Amino acid sequence: MLCSDPVKIPGDESGDKENSVLFRVAEGLRERIEQSKEYTVVSEKDSEPQKLPVFESWMWSSEYDEALKFEKQLLKQYQGKTFEEALPEGKVISNKQGNCYEISTTCFSTFRNTTCEKSRQILLSDLKVLPGIGLVTEQILKNEGYPTVEDLTRHPRWTKQAQTYLKLVNTKKVDLLQTWLWQRLPKSHPLLHYLAGFCQNQDFAIIDIETLGLSERPIILLGIAKPTKNNSLSTKQFLLQDIPDEPSALWALLSQINPQLALITYNGKSFDVPYIKQRLAYYGINASIDNPNFDVLHFTRRALKPKLANCRLETVEKYLGIKRDINIPGALVPHFYDTYLRTKNVGPLIPIVEHNRQDLLTLATLFSKLYEEWQFDK
Amino acid sequence: MINEFLKNIKQSRSYKKQIAHIEELPAHNASFGELEKPLPENLQNVLLNRKINLYSHQAQAINEARRGKNIVINTPTASGKTLAFNIPVLETLTNCDKATALYLYPTKALSNDQLKVLKDLEKECQIKVNANIYDGDTPQYQRASIRENSRIVLTNPYGLHQYLPHHNLWRNFLSTLRFIVIDEAHVYRGVFGSNVAMVIRRLLRICNYYHANPQIILSSATIANPEEHAKKLTGKNFTIVSKDGSPRGKKSFIFWNPPFTDSTNTLRRSTHQETKDLMTLNVLQNLQTLCFTTSRQMAELITRWTKEQLVTKSKPTNIVTAYRAGYLPQERRDIENKLKNKKLIGVISTNALELGIDIGSLDSVIISGYPGTIVSTWQQAGRAGRSNSDSLVTLVAFQNPLDQYFMKHPLDFFGRPHEQAIIDLHNRYISLGHIMCAASELPVTEDDKQFFPERLVESIQALEREKIVSNTPRGWVYSGTARTTKIVSLENITTKTVTVFCNGNLLETLTLNKAYEEAHVGAVLLHQGETYICESLDLDHLTAKVKQENVHYYTEALKSVDVAINKIYEENAVGTKIGLGELSITEIYHTYLTKTPDALIKKTPLNLPPLSFSTVGLWFMVPAKVKEDIEGQGLDFDGGLHAVEHGMIALSPIFAMCDRWDIGGLSTSLHLNTGEATIFIYDGFEGGIGISETLYSKIRLLWEKTLELVETCECKEGCPSCIYSPKCGNENEPLDKKAACSILKALLKMHISDNNNTATTVAGR
Repeated sequence: MLCSDPVKIPGDESGDKENSVLFRVAEGLRERIEQSKEYTVVSEKDSEPQKLPVFESWMWSSEYDEALKFEKQLLKQYQGKTFEEALPEGKVISNKQGNCYEISTTCFSTFRNTTCEKSRQILLSDLKVLPGIGLVTEQILKNEGYPTVEDLTRHPRWTKQAQTYLKLVNTKKVDLLQTWLWQRLPKSHPLLHYLAGFCQNQDFAIIDIETLGLSERPIILLGIAKPTKNNSLSTKQFLLQDIPDEPSALWALLSQINPQLALITYNGKSFDVPYIKQRLAYYGINASIDNPNFDVLHFTRRALKPKLANCRLETVEKYLGIKRDINIPGALVPHFYDTYLRTKNVGPLIPIVEHNRQDLLTLATLFSKLYEEWQFDK
Repeated sequence: MINEFLKNIKQSRSYKKQIAHIEELPAHNASFGELEKPLPENLQNVLLNRKINLYSHQAQAINEARRGKNIVINTPTASGKTLAFNIPVLETLTNCDKATALYLYPTKALSNDQLKVLKDLEKECQIKVNANIYDGDTPQYQRASIRENSRIVLTNPYGLHQYLPHHNLWRNFLSTLRFIVIDEAHVYRGVFGSNVAMVIRRLLRICNYYHANPQIILSSATIANPEEHAKKLTGKNFTIVSKDGSPRGKKSFIFWNPPFTDSTNTLRRSTHQETKDLMTLNVLQNLQTLCFTTSRQMAELITRWTKEQLVTKSKPTNIVTAYRAGYLPQERRDIENKLKNKKLIGVISTNALELGIDIGSLDSVIISGYPGTIVSTWQQAGRAGRSNSDSLVTLVAFQNPLDQYFMKHPLDFFGRPHEQAIIDLHNRYISLGHIMCAASELPVTEDDKQFFPERLVESIQALEREKIVSNTPRGWVYSGTARTTKIVSLENITTKTVTVFCNGNLLETLTLNKAYEEAHVGAVLLHQGETYICESLDLDHLTAKVKQENVHYYTEALKSVDVAINKIYEENAVGTKIGLGELSITEIYHTYLTKTPDALIKKTPLNLPPLSFSTVGLWFMVPAKVKEDIEGQGLDFDGGLHAVEHGMIALSPIFAMCDRWDIGGLSTSLHLNTGEATIFIYDGFEGGIGISETLYSKIRLLWEKTLELVETCECKEGCPSCIYSPKCGNENEPLDKKAACSILKALLKMHISDNNNTATTVAGR
């Protein structure tokens, strides 16, 4: 067998053999970490849409190349700049868990919610919310003159169930209703979206986090947006200046979320919320987030999947006509943050912060626009 | 029945004095024990209903466990170990309705088998335990419910490794954890065992975080060092329960050496053919028999041949089947059940049935070829033997020097101590990866020295130096961009699996290496005794397609192994040149043979890309002058090199705290990179695992001890105690004991005459 001449590696001259083994093993781990990617880069040329990876995150190769070029440019542009110079809307804040960097902005937004009356009407219009009633029974009952759950309270067989549900609807308790509906309907069902009508605009918090990976690694940025009265969204982003800031950033977010708030997320039910809980447990912080959660990903899949190639937020944005000034694929956030950690050059943080803020804004728009996709609003 | 069977064999016309030795292992009666205090009523009823009188070791185990001791139960196969640990666990779960227990099994098959046992007990005890398996096969939608509602969870170390970072989901289960049961603990040895030891420390660290301090119960096959092994595996102290109180019938252990087929007494009849004949005889006598083979292919072939022979005797063939890894779980369970209810009289299996899957006890066990360790041999032999009747074990020898040695020295076998199960807690390759995992589970602080006492701070600082962890006021926090449990694997091997389809239906799965041997184009793949011809092997999609075709030949793939030096980490010219560095190990499957039981039909070239992996290894050169001297004495230089390699590998476990199966070796009279005769010893794991580093630093001592071993061994031309290797790819050929001694002496002499540098080389820990 042919092989090239062996390369000689100069030994560690420090003399401590034990440590040189440790260093070598640690280097090996570092290499393996760098080789291990949680995304696939897909070439636009030879890939048909249906062959795209389903279970992992992916990006087009052009997006990937552009992002890396962009990173280089940022490193040059922000050489020697401080946090405050690079992210002037922000400041260091401190709380009982330590310090982190808070960035606040206010942006114009078209956040729109349905009304309380409409919600009530739609929540009572579907008989399948009662245990024991399926598609067929519902049709029969409607034909028999019971079009709503309220009518069913007079039906000899269904009085009790209908009363229980009606009572629940009348309390307008979003969390209890959400639990009820999740047990009876698919998570993407429009009724679960209309449930939001029981909340006032100021009761919502849009949440999105950026992390070093898909699980069990630090969260590096936590973003929250709240609708305000005059057609605007106020965003707060809690950024880690370094890893030790994570508990403080988690705490800062939790301080923004009182138990009455309803969350709006994109895949937050499976990703953002459990992720935050895992990090709280990691640091032994005794707190949790158990708020009602309007996971817009589920609604988007149901409403837009037939119209879109996939449900990545970027794709949805194109459909909604939203343009981003600067953007990097979400899957590259860990890489950009890692570059920041290693170079201490704040450049790579700029697109992360912007990406997260744009996600919050898009979510607000998407939440509002999706109402137009349901049959009730047509 | 057994006696008569033996008499018949000896008197039969075809008997050619194959029996080299019969060891009679005497029967012994049951000895029973008393519990120190009565069990709760529900458990008492279980024992009453099942008419169980506890054996002395069971009673001892239960008494010790009830005193709160960690125990290791170290009694033979089928002595009732399972009941001994289930009783104290169920007692605690009866008395405290929140208490939970975690059971760790090395394989999914074992978890499945034990779940049935636990479910039955649960029903009889009338308590709510919801025992359940949680592993890679558990559907997503059941997981949350098992975490919340099951009080006994069965899993395997691979699963545990993955679940630990998400301990918050297990908060309730872990906060009330009272027992960790580790069954078949002897499997956790060598590199794999050292990894599992780290996983258990990570588990205990998380238990500590949730204020739980579970008791640990280990059960293990007979090994030389149960107490030390248990302590290293878990970091805790143990009480040993090893005095077996279960009754045994008489067992006859036969050494069976295939007869010579020629007048010059050089060639013996095929071991497989002899095994097949013995299997047929056993089945015809209606002795329920389990036959262990050393390969998957032989399990299938012997099944096929046995069936063919049964046909000629007008016997049904469905009373015999093969059993091995790669069968679908349902197929395996079906075979296990049929063994238990005696619908199957003969099963020919790989070591897949060596571990404790409950198949009842059998009349007879045939071990076709020495399995490589004393521990395994006794484990397999333990499958035969009912409490009240005689049983038979037959070890059929291969013609290789190792098997033949035991045939010639049977008493050596019966007097030989069981191997030690070795675990290395000092191995940085293993510990550093797990410390990294631990940092992704909870921040690592100096308090964690109680779980990782070995240079924790230096380790975590090495990780910090590579920016894998960050030092924060709360401890070191993992801050890499990859999932730690993906970076660290317990076997340090990444195995690709090939799926085999027949007519579009899933037939079985096998590892990529096995697929190279058994599922290349043209290969005969055997499945449950049926022959399939492989039509394609798609390496991109890791699938193979086969068609069923009845043929009477089988195939065997031949490979060659190449070693190349990629990088040199360290070099030393103390006497001869020795080096340490990164090696590429390449296996090339170049040809396959088509054979019948008696003849070679043809050789066909194979066109498969080489399989290669890089690892860390050491090498040293043997100068041409030494070769001349040795050949001048009329000795075989190549045989000497090969023997030195074997001898060093045999001793390496003692120096490097590993299993000999964790190490590979190659000796060659001319190597391309070094230009000289060279011996390589390398870690059998992708990326290296630290064994070679240790050996490199102690090379002189290793040579000295190897010389002592070979020189003082009383054998004439080599034996399993010195230069015969149970895993040699060349059937232990060629080997020259005298040449080996000369080579080692020459190396040591060169070393002494130039020992200025020894201080640096021998520096170890």
